[in-house]
Amino acid sequence: MTNLNNRQHIPDAPTMHIVDGKTVEPRDYNWLERLFRFLLRPFSEAWHHRDLIAAILRRELRERFSGSMAGWVWAVAAPVISLTTYTLVFGGAVKLPNNAESRGAMDYALFIFGGLVAFNFFTEMAYRAPSLLHEYAHYIKQTMFPAEMLPIISTLRATTYASIGLVLMLAAQLVFTGTLHWTVLLLPLWFIPFLGFLIGITWLLSAMGAFTRDTAYLMMTIAPVLMFATPVFWSHETLGPDAKLWMYANVLTGFIEIIRDIVVFGNLPDIRVVAWTLFISFFFFWFGYWFFRRQQDAIADVI
Amino acid sequence: MSSDTDVVIRAKHLAKAYKLYDSPKDWVKQQVMGSEKNPYYKSFWALKDISFEVQRGKSLGIIGRNGCGKSTLLQIVCGMTRPTKGEIWVKGRVAPVLALGATFDQEATGRENVMIGGAVLGLKRVEILDKFDSITDFAGIGAFMDQPLKLYSVGMRMRLAFAICAHIDAEILIVDEALSVGDLAFQKKCVDWIDNFRRTGTLLFVSHSTSELSNLCQSAMWIDNGRVRESGSVADVARAYRRATFVEKDNMQRFSAV
Repeated sequence: MTNLNNRQHIPDAPTMHIVDGKTVEPRDYNWLERLFRFLLRPFSEAWHHRDLIAAILRRELRERFSGSMAGWVWAVAAPVISLTTYTLVFGGAVKLPNNAESRGAMDYALFIFGGLVAFNFFTEMAYRAPSLLHEYAHYIKQTMFPAEMLPIISTLRATTYASIGLVLMLAAQLVFTGTLHWTVLLLPLWFIPFLGFLIGITWLLSAMGAFTRDTAYLMMTIAPVLMFATPVFWSHETLGPDAKLWMYANVLTGFIEIIRDIVVFGNLPDIRVVAWTLFISFFFFWFGYWFFRRQQDAIADVI
Repeated sequence: MSSDTDVVIRAKHLAKAYKLYDSPKDWVKQQVMGSEKNPYYKSFWALKDISFEVQRGKSLGIIGRNGCGKSTLLQIVCGMTRPTKGEIWVKGRVAPVLALGATFDQEATGRENVMIGGAVLGLKRVEILDKFDSITDFAGIGAFMDQPLKLYSVGMRMRLAFAICAHIDAEILIVDEALSVGDLAFQKKCVDWIDNFRRTGTLLFVSHSTSELSNLCQSAMWIDNGRVRESGSVADVARAYRRATFVEKDNMQRFSAV
């Protein structure tokens, strides 16, 4: 299927040409071109399959939102209720978990909620990824379905729910504090690397999950622990300098710190945290893609 | 007519090995420290040595017993799975009429499955929308188009699947024993359609029925145990195949992995 992509501009080229298990390229590429083509390939493939991605996404969202009587209500109710709960429970707190002064009843709730949006987005992907390919086995088996698009589709679907949470968070802030920080404009710059990170993680976990069910059990076991190892309900900024540095080994820490900075506090995030988080996102995105493509032939055979 | 430029499918010494792992542990070991030379898996060679060529507008029938490698071969030609060794060269859009309807999403409606199925086969959204009415007509399932697939009968699913394949403007059609489902009227519709397709397109046709082969194909190939055992005119291959079926016992020893 990869073969379809770059061939269309060459009128007399074959649609598929494989020798000894390797796709024959129209010409030899040097290492720099190969690297460049590899880095570009996830994007060119997603663009090539955009209609397929849209068709499946449309169907899944219809199922989610019109398969039940009040689909949209459920999707919005859950984040509203948790945001309200945090406001009621922590509304009186004078100090935020990072020792900053609370400037109103909403600050504590928003502090937690920001972390929670990111964390829930991550766990939804991590829980689902190991069984993702089994779930779509009917597509992968016996069709020319591009399985590498499934993690992208699945991440985009979860994006809908995460976006509902984000919009609610901004709305609550606007309603209760009357203003939004200008740094909110940086939110897309936070969201896109986060999506890349999640798609990469899903590539990795779904390919592993195709071969061994242990991946699913592993994720179920570590996710609850991760909840406490991630500064969702507390802040890593109260830890000593050494411990604080170690917290960044948990990839989610950086993402959560940045979203709190730009949405709740209106600060520009620490440049070192941004650099580290970007690096992690890029690394997981392309490593996950590489790993998935490496396993892809075997995946179609074992699913 | 048979100039080299007219070849649309060329296979040279194709071989396909499936990797069989005894346990997931072996898969992990293979990822971490395995090599091709010293693997933690056993190889099952579904195809051992297959060579053939098909020219534009020709039709090739493929015959063989269960487990001989026919389906694997078709999957390689479609690009669903990669050969381990040898060369495969395919030119033109392929429509795989394999395992019809098995690939549908049971919860989605017929309409959604057409949109998804068409996109998988390489159609753009506008193209599918253009052809949508024609697909509905061909399938002849009327109001069921907006019902979820789980309410369809096996025959209806097959009708819808064939209708999609018939509308993707393929240059190469690959049919795998699919026409046995469906009522006689629909079977006839499909055979007529394939007959018409053959005037411009290339056909790979798998069947256990030698009479179907002689109706639709100009030449035939008999695959046995992952190798081409006989190829040539349909009549010759069919005769040799029938004769062998009487002599050879039906044992399943050949499924054991080596």
